[in-house]
Amino acid sequence: MSDDPLLVPRARHGRAPDVFRPGGWVPMQQYREDEEVDFAIVGTGAGGGTLACRLAEAGFSVVAVASKKKWRPLEDFASDETEQTKLYWTDERIVDGANPLQLGSNNSGKSVGGSTVHFAMVSLRFRPEWFKARSKLGYGADWPIDWQEMWHYYDEVEQALKISGPVRYPWGPKRPRYPYRPHEVNAAGLVLAKGAEAMGIEWAPTPLATVSAPRDLSPPCVYRGFCTSGCSTNAKQSVLITWLPRALAAGAEIRDLAMVGRVAVNDAGRAIGVEYHREGRWRFQRARNVVVAGYAIETPRLLLNSATPRYPDGLANSSGLVGKNLMVQANQAVWGVMDDEIRSYKGPPSLAITEHWNYEDRGKDFFGGYAYMSQGPLPTLWANTEASGRGLWGQALMTEMEKYNHQVGLKIVGEMIPQERNRVTLADEKDQYGLPISRVTYSWCDNDRRLIAHSLRFMGQALEAAGARDIWRQEDDTCHMNGTARMGDDPRRSVVNADCRSWDIRNLWICDGSVFPTVGGVNPSLTIQAIACRTADRIRTLAARGEL
Amino acid sequence: MAERYPGYDVLAKRHTPSWNEQTRRVIDARLALPREPRFLSEDEFRTLVAIAARVVPQPADRPPIPVAALVDHKLEKNHGDGYRHAALPPLREAWRRGLGAIDQEAREAHKQPFHRLDAPTQDAVLKAAQEGRLAGAAWQGMPSALFFSHRLLRDIVLAYYSHPTSWNEIGFGGPASPRGYVRMGFNRRDPWEAAEAREDDEAAARQENKRVR
Amino acid sequence: MRSATLPRERVVGVTPTGGAALGGLALIGFAALLLARRSAVAKTARPLARVVPKLPEPTRAARPLPEPRPQPPGLPAAVRVGRRLNQASGVLAVAVLLDSAVEHYRGSFENKAMISPLVSSALSIAASLHGVADRRVAAHRARDTVYAVAGLSGFVGTGFHLYNIGKRPGGFSWLNLFYAAPIGAPMALTLSGMLGFLAERVRDNDPSEAPLVLGFPAGRAVAALAAGGILGTVGEVGLLHFRGSFQNPAMFLPVTVPPAAAVLLGCCAARRDGAPRLLTRWWLRATALLGIVGVGFHAFGVARAMGGWRNWSQNLLNGPPLPAPPSFTGLSLAGLAALRLMEEHADG
Repeated sequence: MSDDPLLVPRARHGRAPDVFRPGGWVPMQQYREDEEVDFAIVGTGAGGGTLACRLAEAGFSVVAVASKKKWRPLEDFASDETEQTKLYWTDERIVDGANPLQLGSNNSGKSVGGSTVHFAMVSLRFRPEWFKARSKLGYGADWPIDWQEMWHYYDEVEQALKISGPVRYPWGPKRPRYPYRPHEVNAAGLVLAKGAEAMGIEWAPTPLATVSAPRDLSPPCVYRGFCTSGCSTNAKQSVLITWLPRALAAGAEIRDLAMVGRVAVNDAGRAIGVEYHREGRWRFQRARNVVVAGYAIETPRLLLNSATPRYPDGLANSSGLVGKNLMVQANQAVWGVMDDEIRSYKGPPSLAITEHWNYEDRGKDFFGGYAYMSQGPLPTLWANTEASGRGLWGQALMTEMEKYNHQVGLKIVGEMIPQERNRVTLADEKDQYGLPISRVTYSWCDNDRRLIAHSLRFMGQALEAAGARDIWRQEDDTCHMNGTARMGDDPRRSVVNADCRSWDIRNLWICDGSVFPTVGGVNPSLTIQAIACRTADRIRTLAARGEL
Repeated sequence: MAERYPGYDVLAKRHTPSWNEQTRRVIDARLALPREPRFLSEDEFRTLVAIAARVVPQPADRPPIPVAALVDHKLEKNHGDGYRHAALPPLREAWRRGLGAIDQEAREAHKQPFHRLDAPTQDAVLKAAQEGRLAGAAWQGMPSALFFSHRLLRDIVLAYYSHPTSWNEIGFGGPASPRGYVRMGFNRRDPWEAAEAREDDEAAARQENKRVR
Repeated sequence: MRSATLPRERVVGVTPTGGAALGGLALIGFAALLLARRSAVAKTARPLARVVPKLPEPTRAARPLPEPRPQPPGLPAAVRVGRRLNQASGVLAVAVLLDSAVEHYRGSFENKAMISPLVSSALSIAASLHGVADRRVAAHRARDTVYAVAGLSGFVGTGFHLYNIGKRPGGFSWLNLFYAAPIGAPMALTLSGMLGFLAERVRDNDPSEAPLVLGFPAGRAVAALAAGGILGTVGEVGLLHFRGSFQNPAMFLPVTVPPAAAVLLGCCAARRDGAPRLLTRWWLRATALLGIVGVGFHAFGVARAMGGWRNWSQNLLNGPPLPAPPSFTGLSLAGLAALRLMEEHADG
């Protein structure tokens, strides 16, 4: 019988693949579909997977439904970019707007473990002021959560993932030492360092969710550089190898290769379970609570697709904001060539970082901030960057590509402003399950453009100061996505409250990057996991008070 | 143009700790891909072969990377990127239309099918497509510039650099599991990485690359 | 554009055979050193004429001197201890040879001078083997020279390493202390040289008198060097185990057991009564043993890294350094030799 994870679910018959032992299995509790579990969670990424773990450990019965495969990294992951596109979301979505997004590898995973299976492991905390962006900094919206509460949850997540970071982190308020020490910085990272020193700003080795020393069954990183194609070393501390094994051990069930098509609600307007497609037919899992954690495109898509006569605009959408305020992050870059050999394909892509422009407000003609990091693109990514970024083809492209081992770059993760016109809606086209696909509309605003211009100017100077030449700008790239089910303390202006509980349907929760009111100038994964930990604690408190 | 990494071959490391079993399987399958089209028609394939020869020109002194076959394979599998521009039709339809439209432009402007044109003329047609100046009926409203950037250039380039021969050209370390890399600093290479030829000393690099394992 | 002007980075082609040969030779030397001591004790070859120092008559109520340890017939104390110090120096030199070879290979011998600690430590091993077999009373000029050069090389190496750390972006940051040239490693070569140098100085004494080294009581001098050397090594280990986040509790052993040994040894050096120091002796033995056990732990670390032993070309370089722990063994042997000296000569 085929063990192809693309076709045949692996998590069943009372067991799930053991990600640490080739061919091994771990026992998995299974729930009957007609058994009303406490929580059905749609999605097993940074939000859903973390929440599944914490709820199961708190004693709740949890079924986490994942649309795709439960990988065995040691056996399934090949050292090949093209093959490993199997980790990305490759079902169709339409993009439009003035600045259509590039999806796929940049931000959308289709694995048990979500995008954390292919992410670049950059693990950063929000700047505290960002939680009150409107009141303190004059843009965006306030979060209904206090930064000091988040600080406590950031501690927990960093410990759970054994983040490898610098002994002293130059930015932000006091924080505990990272659990593991930083990785060695490769030549590409040292170019960032030299540039930063020349520009008079601080830099640091990037805090990464991959271990620099052994951790339980994870060996330390071998610097193979295929991080965004999936870590076959198991050094990367993805949700798949951290929270989910804990979740399984605590009695959660992971149902893989199960695409949720609808969240069902009863006549009283309460969620009663999820309709999902698995092994050739539609099924239904009853649940007392439903958590939607499909990330910023699939979450609103599911809520909109679950419309009923009672909720004609989709679930949890009395505010009309489901799908709106989509925010990606600017991902522009400058690239150059050096006489030195850089060979940036070695090691994780972003080994050095500066968050200077996240914490410095003077000298900016824009709201928000950005961090920038060193880069290490593998061949197909690099070729596509040269081709799409500069329009190169023919001999000109081949000549540039030959300089592969001498190229070096700096790339931002830049804050973009929430705008209601940036949104996820349903298209007319249907996917292979008969469900309407998403249309993702995006346009930059002036603030976005000013931030991008500032960053390209600054990074260009830094790269030049570090000794690179033939510097060019990659002007159109974005990454990550958030905001389409924002949290707030006013039901008319938000979809969920601070506990990630939807205003409209008491037992419908949303726990992923969709809930961000603002996106900040740092990669979102650590914050999503921290929110999930907080949500789990809040659920426990509410349950104890009978308010669930 | 002289090779930058003479004698370097990623495939020479197949049985070293740099490759694992699943990687060998995947690369073997890619190398064994049939050269004939499975999805495109013969005509469409001929056009694609000619286009690929201009977009990613290859030296004549080595076995060619079967770019067209790789793209055809992607179309056969209907393996999309997970998103498409609103103004573009889905993957297969976009390619069929685009190949037909480019060929049509060649016939109308130059009286020959695209694959029979000489290289400079082919380049001119492609440039026109890239700049959005082609808008014949065969496009059926699909913007030629979008087709060029989002499909033609992208899929061809991704296909080319998915092949081990291209990795040798650019000196990429190739597959790397379980063995990754030790020396990550400036001007450092591990003995299993490609040695770059210096202007004065190609033979030394060739010697080093023979020992890559 | 080709990089025409950069120095061609040579990847020294140490083949697996070459590496194994180097390791094998070093292990043979190591074993020879450890065994040579025992055979020397067993043998009582041509006993040298030796005058046992007469005890002064107790004339007044003086503090009674302890009974001198019964001297086995044969070699004078100076020679016996001298040979033990040769042995200690040799053991340390083996660790230096293997560790610097691996680490400098990792550094691609980018600077030609990186070959010198290999040469110097190899010569020190040869000198130490020679010294262990040598039962003469006098210092040996050739050995002296080799040891002195080793001692000096270590200082020069420290200078190079400090430069290497300081020139990187961030200078003397934690990151560079972790990943640039190891700051304390060259001093192991200096310690090895100094121990050997002391071995010769100890030999170079009239058998009838308490050995002196450059005017100082030999026992105390060696104890001070050994204790200091152990503490320095603890610093280096502490830095690297900190880099490894002390992820395995056993990583605390080399930063707890050896410092205690060094402190005990230091205390012994400060005393004058020449009484046997049982606790110190056993603690030094434990530290010596830790140096061997550490290799086992490091081997476990290599085995559990990705690809294990099969991925030796990465894991022997990136993984915990196999040749490093026996530095403790060498230094402990020196400490034990110092103890012997201090016990045999009340104020030595």
